[in-house]
Amino acid sequence: MNKLGRGHRDKVQQFIAITGASEKAALQVLKASDWHLEGAFDVFYSQPQVQSSTDSRCLETLYNRYKDTYTDMIMADGISTLCNDLMVDPQDIVMLVVSWYMKAATMCEFSKQEFVGGLQSLGIDSLEKFRERLPFIRSELNDNQKFKEIYIFAFDWAKEKGQKSLALDTAIGMWQLLFAEKKWPLVDHWCQFLQEKHNKAISRDTWSQLLEFAIGVDPGLSNYDAEGAWPYLIDEFVEYLTENTIIQKGRGKTL
Amino acid sequence: MSLLINIDASLSCWLLYTAVSWAWGIRLTLIKMNERKTINLEQGRDFMQKGITKLKNILEGLPEPQFSSEEYMMLYTTIYNMCTQKPPHDYSQQLYDKYRESFQEYITSTVLPSLREKHDEFMLRELVKRWSNHKVMVRWLSRFFYYLDRYFITHRSLPPLNEVGLACFRDLVYTEVNGKVRDAVISLIDQEREGEQIDRALLKNVLDIFVEIGMGQMECYENDFELSMLKDTAAYYSRKASNWILEVSCPDYMLKKVQNELLSVYATQLLEKEHSGCYALLRDDKVVDLSRMYRLFSKIPQGLEPISSMFKQHVTAEGTTLVKQADDAASNKKAEKRDVAGLQEQALKEAFEIFCNKGVAGSSSAELLATFCDNILKKGGSEKLSDEAIEDTLEKVVKLLAYISDKDLFAEFYRKKLARRLLFDESANDEHERSILTKLKQQCGGQFTSKMEGMVTDLALAKENQSHFEEYLSNNSNVSPGIDLTVTVLTTGFWPSYKSFDLNLPAEMVKCVEVFREFYQTKTKHRKLTWIYSLGTCNINGKFEPKTVELIVTTYQASTLLLFNLSDRLSYQEIMSQLNLSDDDVIRLLHSLSCARYKILIKEPNTKTISPTDTFEFNSKFTDKMRRIKIPLPPVDEKKKVIEDVDKDRRYAIDASIVRIMKSRKVLGYQQLVMECVEQLGRMFRPDVKAIKKRIEDLITRDYLERDKDNPNVFRYLA
Repeated sequence: MNKLGRGHRDKVQQFIAITGASEKAALQVLKASDWHLEGAFDVFYSQPQVQSSTDSRCLETLYNRYKDTYTDMIMADGISTLCNDLMVDPQDIVMLVVSWYMKAATMCEFSKQEFVGGLQSLGIDSLEKFRERLPFIRSELNDNQKFKEIYIFAFDWAKEKGQKSLALDTAIGMWQLLFAEKKWPLVDHWCQFLQEKHNKAISRDTWSQLLEFAIGVDPGLSNYDAEGAWPYLIDEFVEYLTENTIIQKGRGKTL
Repeated sequence: MSLLINIDASLSCWLLYTAVSWAWGIRLTLIKMNERKTINLEQGRDFMQKGITKLKNILEGLPEPQFSSEEYMMLYTTIYNMCTQKPPHDYSQQLYDKYRESFQEYITSTVLPSLREKHDEFMLRELVKRWSNHKVMVRWLSRFFYYLDRYFITHRSLPPLNEVGLACFRDLVYTEVNGKVRDAVISLIDQEREGEQIDRALLKNVLDIFVEIGMGQMECYENDFELSMLKDTAAYYSRKASNWILEVSCPDYMLKKVQNELLSVYATQLLEKEHSGCYALLRDDKVVDLSRMYRLFSKIPQGLEPISSMFKQHVTAEGTTLVKQADDAASNKKAEKRDVAGLQEQALKEAFEIFCNKGVAGSSSAELLATFCDNILKKGGSEKLSDEAIEDTLEKVVKLLAYISDKDLFAEFYRKKLARRLLFDESANDEHERSILTKLKQQCGGQFTSKMEGMVTDLALAKENQSHFEEYLSNNSNVSPGIDLTVTVLTTGFWPSYKSFDLNLPAEMVKCVEVFREFYQTKTKHRKLTWIYSLGTCNINGKFEPKTVELIVTTYQASTLLLFNLSDRLSYQEIMSQLNLSDDDVIRLLHSLSCARYKILIKEPNTKTISPTDTFEFNSKFTDKMRRIKIPLPPVDEKKKVIEDVDKDRRYAIDASIVRIMKSRKVLGYQQLVMECVEQLGRMFRPDVKAIKKRIEDLITRDYLERDKDNPNVFRYLA
């Protein structure tokens, strides 16, 4: 997909949205029809439905199962039902990854486009397929690059619409969730520190820099650069750690 | 010990008795003046001696009954009589001498021998006991000889009885034993350092003696005890330092703990007193000792706070003495100040700068300097100094400013005080005011002084305005405020911000405001007038029964007083609701009118503080020997507000500086950005690196900047 020019990419996306085909199939067909959409449709519909393309009608049905009664969106109740169907805990981090695929704007809400688009890109159009794909989805977190993207995504997703910062409680919940996957030994201290000393919302900059800190700085803080451009909250965290002798300066041992 | 308690209890009863019988005694003696038999000197002295001997016996613990009330009265009255007899039988001088001799005799015969025969800790205990006894003796004898204190000593400008008594102890006992005492104390302290238990209470008592002997001046404490104590402490620590480093477990922690204990204990001892050792060191410019003390005390939490308040007191005291003393004394002190400022010539320049700013907790030194200037420039401040002397001092002050990092804080305090001087006509000399502004401008740039200059010009304009107003009034005889009114119109931007409260003006003043408003409309329609009643003054006539007295008060006070034209009695609540002011203001107001020097209002109940349940009544019986008195209203402490305002301004300044730098550089590393920011702002204040960091993050949130994708230590400017 990345090798395509912008015009071609658009066409592929359009094709997928209309036919519900997989990316692979769409590319095939469009190339075959020399990038003419009408032609491509003809080719496509004359062909028998191939492999892992998704059936848009099934997706429609799926969507309607969870959709909210009053709005054209899947809301909290629907998501609850979805999780039940999938036999997954709503708190399970896999739902975060799913939301990431869907490019969901806000947690606990999926628009039709988000839901359908997301599942299509995963090649899912039924509950069995969904359940089957869960392990794969979960495994995405192991990839460092993907984890970073998901982490950054989580900030905008978890915060209130219209707010610039993330409420502290939510942030702490998210951190605990995320760092259960990618182990960071200081996460509990960090959360405790925030509750004791900070008690305000978290800015985007702090959120993103924290990941750098967790990845880059070792838990003994031996390579922490105090003169660096770390957000002041992180500087204070380091101070907090040394003051309460959780980390002994120069020793690099966590108690 | 129990003996002393008994004595004290009966002493207080006796005092009560005296107070009551004093008045009675006067009447009696007045009546009996002519009938009284003259007491001759011998008789009198013998009689007093009996009483004194009785007292000594009690103090020594001998079986001696307590003084009865008759005995007290007789002793007291004897003195009284002997002082009020007609010459040549008025024996005040002889009695004064007798008083002193009693102590001298007792000390030489009893006290000194008992001290000489003891050593070390036992000697210290004996000393404490003897000093205690001595104080009791002074108290008692002073009561007997009290009449001398009332007239004789004031007429002859002699030291009061209390002082004489204590001086005896000092001259006879203290001078002899203080060396031994000091050594004993230091050896006790050393024992404790080695881990032995010592009697801390004893130590405290002994140190107290050192302080009390000074009788308000700390020379004894400082010179005799403290300096050797400090030397010894320093020596001890350097010895110990090498040992501590060798200890295995967490040396830092141990050091901190031990230092904490010792230093904290002695910190309170050494520094808590009014004129402490720190003060002595400052006074004598003992900078090496000072820096040693600074290092020692910086290791304990809040160790520096007492030092900084001492420094603050010292400089303020020095500042005030500077302007209040006569020329010679003033030039002596000034030499000191010059020395302090002249430290720049020595290598200790840096130490001074650090001490000036850090050791005094930043804001204090800026505030101090502003207060110092205020003292020089206001009326009643330095009128005794020659113009040249003042110029010189101002010169030094401006030089000193270079060492203060928070210049903007100084500016704000200075501005506030300048405003007071200008508005309340407290400025001594216009020339000096202008001169210091010129100097400040040269040193710190035009922006520093622009507002202040604006203030000075404003006043000149205001005077012009006022004369126009008076013209207007004479031309329009139908609009009359009814009272002589002077209005000063200020330009908002130049002056410090004042909160304006919605004071309910008395009817007479409402008219004034109206009339002026109309006049101002004729001059300009584009300006908005906000009345600041908290800055006004009023001259009102108080028609008291004895005589009418003119009172010079603030507008707030006047409004309060005028309420009493309509009712004789008002409660706190009524006053508050009628004036429409806050509790804080009302309390201050009422205090100045009922609990301070001039009691224009009578407060019920007659306590020293104002409470919301008090009631107030016009004091028709008030009078004073002057025909016109000024009733001051102490100003609210502006310090907190000034610091708040300056902090806010600094945030904006830092923001502006960061944006300016980033706009021109587009991409810049964090360290670089901070450095340039500090440099740019350095003229006005030293920005805290943490503060800069916070502002950078705020600017990131507001989308002015962003971090570079690849290197989070680098920032980019977002157009």
